[in-house]
Amino acid sequence: MKKFLSLTLIHILWIVPAKAQGDSLDFLRSTGKIYSVVAVIAVIFIGITIFLYRLDRKLTKLENQINNEQ
Amino acid sequence: MRGYWWKFAGVLIFLYVLIGGMTIPTKAGIISVIPGNALSGESLNLMITGYNTHFTECTELRAWLKLDSVHVVKSKTIKKISERTAEFLFHIPSVFPGKDKVQPLTLIIDNEIDGVFVQPNAVFITVNDSIAPDSSDWLLGSLENLHEAKGTKFPFRNILNETIRNTFFHVALWFAMFVLLILGVYHAIQYLITREYDHDILSSSYHRIAIMYGIFGLITGSVWAKFTWNTFWTTDVKLNMTAVAMLIYLAYLVLRGSSSDYDRRAKISASYAIFAFLALIPLVFVIPRLTDSLHPGNGGNPALGGEDLDHTLRLFFYPSIIALILLGLWMSELLTRYERLKEKILLKNQ
Repeated sequence: MKKFLSLTLIHILWIVPAKAQGDSLDFLRSTGKIYSVVAVIAVIFIGITIFLYRLDRKLTKLENQINNEQ
Repeated sequence: MRGYWWKFAGVLIFLYVLIGGMTIPTKAGIISVIPGNALSGESLNLMITGYNTHFTECTELRAWLKLDSVHVVKSKTIKKISERTAEFLFHIPSVFPGKDKVQPLTLIIDNEIDGVFVQPNAVFITVNDSIAPDSSDWLLGSLENLHEAKGTKFPFRNILNETIRNTFFHVALWFAMFVLLILGVYHAIQYLITREYDHDILSSSYHRIAIMYGIFGLITGSVWAKFTWNTFWTTDVKLNMTAVAMLIYLAYLVLRGSSSDYDRRAKISASYAIFAFLALIPLVFVIPRLTDSLHPGNGGNPALGGEDLDHTLRLFFYPSIIALILLGLWMSELLTRYERLKEKILLKNQ
């Protein structure tokens, strides 16, 4: 589930600007500061990834604790 | 699957916001007007670069220069160069109402595809007295038969341009943060009343995610500011006050990490959480409204509304808040479950 979610998000983060660039009629997104929006979404995504990583580490520690007791 | 539906709902709503919020175009606007100044009584050839405009595709392209609600000049000839550029010829009248030597004109362009769009203070006219007065050039009265833009489009705002889409992420993060903080404070109060350790776990989980959202909010705001205010950090009151509030909340995390006595830690952090929330409200909601601020809705500006948050933006803004709340609840639920597990193991070991 986690993998699927991150893949979907990466997909969206890549596809949207790429599609906008191909649209050469009006260079809409390149000059329209669209990349700041991409950056903002990336910040949120990276932040959530860090959260997941930290939770993962905490859980591993807890798992090790349980396994050592047994 | 039961019990998971709201998590998936959160993800789906966020996907809807991402896709819709990124693909819907903004309305037409004007990026540059050359030259930016002229003399009165002259013929003025304005070279205009538009944004998301359809100059060649449209059939009814019209343009005006507007001084005030009654003084308007209509363009005589229009030369379409491309979809985004066109030349407009104006005869600037020699007589201007008012005594100002330099008067700003607003450029208004209208066509049936893009609707009507304006650029305030597009051209500055230096009034030249020596030319014989002839007021017949002014088109007196209001503009008629203006078009509406076709289709669903986000508003075009100068400076903001495409970054208006950040409303869905940056602003929604703060709204979601507040909901999580309220939940955290609720459980802090519940802990102080009932002294059940589970309330402390819930309260700290909500607080952790809310603080994480707050940090996201500061960073995303900083990125947005770089593109619009041209600096990562300004002395804007709202920025500084929010930073202070976030520091207060970071101290909450430090406080929780400092004590190993669970009971005492729970008691202190619950009461600290309540005070931090009480400090947050004046810092974020009251002080920025008392002085000037770059944020909309502060310093006497009307609150979010009008062109800043029109109905097309609301279509994604409110779902985004709901999605971020649901995702936040999911994340805090994970933390809660982790803490409960940890507590269980701890009790078993004793």
